[in-house]
Amino acid sequence: MAATMKLSTLGYAASMLSTGLLDEQFQKLLLLQDGSDPNFVVEIITLFCEDGERTIGELTKQLDKRCVNFDEVADFVHKLEGSSATVGAQRVKNACIQFLEFCKEKSRDGCLKTLDTLRVVFYDVSGKFKAMLQLEQQQAEATK
Amino acid sequence: MTSYVEGSPVKALIVEDSAVETMVLSAMLRKFHCEITTAKNGKEAVQMFLEGKKFDIIFCDKDMPVMSGPEAIEKIRALGEIYVKIVGVSVGDNAQEAFMRVGANEFVPKPMKLDVVRAIIQEVIKKKKNNNTV
Repeated sequence: MAATMKLSTLGYAASMLSTGLLDEQFQKLLLLQDGSDPNFVVEIITLFCEDGERTIGELTKQLDKRCVNFDEVADFVHKLEGSSATVGAQRVKNACIQFLEFCKEKSRDGCLKTLDTLRVVFYDVSGKFKAMLQLEQQQAEATK
Repeated sequence: MTSYVEGSPVKALIVEDSAVETMVLSAMLRKFHCEITTAKNGKEAVQMFLEGKKFDIIFCDKDMPVMSGPEAIEKIRALGEIYVKIVGVSVGDNAQEAFMRVGANEFVPKPMKLDVVRAIIQEVIKKKKNNNTV
């Protein structure tokens, strides 16, 4: 894979920025990549998607319990809030903030409703991230 | 006190349970040629100090499994580690007080900015130069 992301991939990222799916933090992430770590952005995005999926799975399990431990739920949400803020996944971060409010209120219904929102926004951004990485991969293959 | 040898890297400890956040902060610190060690929770961090490891700076998350950041910082300071710069890092609004109460030097909200990390590392380097003892 090239040391810098291809222009078309950057264009894909730009469209995610313009629709509010990502914020300027993602642009800062792109700037951190250099020749010494050419796969940095790919690794971060991949890790974010994997961790996020695992977290959503855990949240589903936690909220399915007869007796919900809202502190434990909040811990999982907080972790996703942090990583989404770090990669610039703005809508995921905002959904997490809302989720944490319902955790504080110990509202199972509120948490379940917000989990649905979180699931939608997370899979939206992770789907687009994966498509972006596939595009990058295809272009790298094409230039070999 | 750690002796400073001209050009010796800043020894940074990242205490963070999120792999994504650890990777991003590590990438930032590498830009400033820091020697990076990571711990996944407060307990691992404290253990490092118990083993005699020394660091110039700690970037410490707040909420982690096993042992939280503030709890770890309190224990690290209680070990006599009063010179290591400790930066509390969190995405939460009300984390600053929790960190400063236990002896952190500074609080930085997440997501961390490269400029902020640069300023912090430059300060640590300056302090190391000024404390040049052998």
